[in-house]
Amino acid sequence: MNRPLIIEHIQNALHSLRLTRMRSILTTTGVAIGVASITVVLSLSGGITQVISGQVAALGDNIAVVRPGIPQRGFEGFTNPTTEQTYTTSTITEQDYEDIQAIKGVDAAAPLMIINSTLKSSSNTVPQGTIVATTPALADIAQLPMRDGQFIDSVTNKNTAVIGSRLSVDLFGTDQPIGQTFTSGGQQFTVIGVFKTINNPINFNSVDFDHAAVLSLEGGKSFHQGTAQIQQIDVRAKNKADLPGVIKNITAKLTNSHLGERDFSVLSGQEIAQPANRFFYAITAIMTLIAAISLVVGGVGIMNIMLVGVAERTREIGLRKAVGASSGNIIVQFLVESLIISSFGGLLGFVSGYGIAFLISTFLTFNPALTWQIAAIALGTSIIVGVVFGLYPALRAARKDPIESLRQYH
Amino acid sequence: MAKKKTLPVIELKGLTKKYGMGDAEQTVLDEIDLQIEKGEFITIMGPSGCGKTTLLNILGLLDRANEGEYFLDGKSVEKMSSSRHARIRSQQIGFVFQSFNLINRLSVIENVALPLAYKGMSRVRRLKQASDSLKNFHLSEREYYMPWQLSGGQMQRVAIARALVNNPSIVLADEPTGNLDSKSSHIIMEELSDIHKRGNTIIMVTHNPDLTTYASRVIHMLDGQIASDTKTPIELVKTAPKVSLASRRPKTTRQTKKSKTKAKKK
Repeated sequence: MNRPLIIEHIQNALHSLRLTRMRSILTTTGVAIGVASITVVLSLSGGITQVISGQVAALGDNIAVVRPGIPQRGFEGFTNPTTEQTYTTSTITEQDYEDIQAIKGVDAAAPLMIINSTLKSSSNTVPQGTIVATTPALADIAQLPMRDGQFIDSVTNKNTAVIGSRLSVDLFGTDQPIGQTFTSGGQQFTVIGVFKTINNPINFNSVDFDHAAVLSLEGGKSFHQGTAQIQQIDVRAKNKADLPGVIKNITAKLTNSHLGERDFSVLSGQEIAQPANRFFYAITAIMTLIAAISLVVGGVGIMNIMLVGVAERTREIGLRKAVGASSGNIIVQFLVESLIISSFGGLLGFVSGYGIAFLISTFLTFNPALTWQIAAIALGTSIIVGVVFGLYPALRAARKDPIESLRQYH
Repeated sequence: MAKKKTLPVIELKGLTKKYGMGDAEQTVLDEIDLQIEKGEFITIMGPSGCGKTTLLNILGLLDRANEGEYFLDGKSVEKMSSSRHARIRSQQIGFVFQSFNLINRLSVIENVALPLAYKGMSRVRRLKQASDSLKNFHLSEREYYMPWQLSGGQMQRVAIARALVNNPSIVLADEPTGNLDSKSSHIIMEELSDIHKRGNTIIMVTHNPDLTTYASRVIHMLDGQIASDTKTPIELVKTAPKVSLASRRPKTTRQTKKSKTKAKKK
């Protein structure tokens, strides 16, 4: 009994939407914009996460990283992002690095000291270049491929550097930089090696090695009056089974040497995929919020247009009631109409949002993520918007007194 | 034929309807007692504001009385839910309005098929039944016209076809000829009396005393009460309209053709 009636409602709704084509299209567009912006934000941020978790998977599941700062999770992490890397002194010391190396089960460990500094060659200047001071183990752990020359090792001079292929072009105008020198922080460095183009600026080290210069830890310390400012320690366990024990031991050891203060975090597996910079989360959250606001605006548009439709069709409502429509029938009639607007807008928004995300991603180094979750969120929210903002007009239609309605003239 | 039935279709006992509150309270229907048998053609007459339309709305379950009882087919409707009322409207009652109330964005056949949708009938069956109903009113060639393309008389015939499409036991008409010229009025009245002859119960509100000639029973209302209730002998009903119509009707070819087809049908 109910099935043909639903089909009838859908046909009827499509009919009446077609009659007011212009405003139906405009209202649909309103919802589509909201859903599109949500899709863009989610697919791009999902894309970044996918890139990083893909790397973690590719590097093997025996990697853990130690980062400074109190582990922040949940809502507080979103609302109160800390700027631990950029301006504060790191809580991880060189001693911690040495302690970690001594822990049983640790295959290799590499500290990362990230320095932003201007790089000057005889011909060019790269302002705000990235310098990473580390130990020879990094090339192995992060799987940095060399194109020419060699990575820093235990015998190389502290005034030697390995640079990324793009930095090489920026700095020297050539991709054959070996033997050339550049200055930074008042010191001169000789290039002894160059990486292959990695083209992977988003990774668990938060360093774009194509644009970075890698120094020895000793070389990096000279930027900070001889002390190491370690932003991250990459740890590789001997095998996967050892990793939980290694993490436990690192946590215990560092807590002990930090006098009980838990001012660091040890992350492994998918946790590493959380980008190191918490600003990323804040930006995603704010963007999602803005997208949600535009969706609400789209919803208000639906409600507006549905209220107009209800007012215009007062007599029709009265008549439908007189010929046997129950209040429920009327509610469903108008709800179906707003649902068609919103779900069609959702579909349109999802497709165009994904298109926009792809367009944006041509300027970025990763592709937007296309997961069923994002599709479900986009379509789910649009359906929710349709119900939430269509319900009031539908209830208003159903509550109309048939006698009053039939008396009204248009 | 229907006279012998023991159970009246409609029975009202002390039906009272009031509007407003306190000092502004107004009694529109004042303890109305009424019995309507199956197959009656009733016209309700009376000055404006005497409560005719309110009575019709209550009979059609569009409105509820404040006091008193209303039995439809022997069942009290006072305690029924409004969705139950909707179902009764869908299955037992057909409305004809003064202002036709066709939905402008729907074609003639879709308008006629509308009540069937709420009976849960499939679209194909609905349109077929609507088409059959329109055939009875000689509107087959107008099925896919839009309401605004029809004359007033045609619109009202469509509205009557709609009221009858779900075979209601009661047809309620609120001044069905109020917006029509006298020529169209008589066509409509012919249709209604034709429906009546097929055994339907018709309750019609009107201002026009001429139209009472079609009725089997005339009720006059005044200030919310029934002032007079006269039954016209059935024989008289059958002959009266024909006589009066013949003298009043302008004789156009269309109408003679129409009455011929009607005669054939009988």
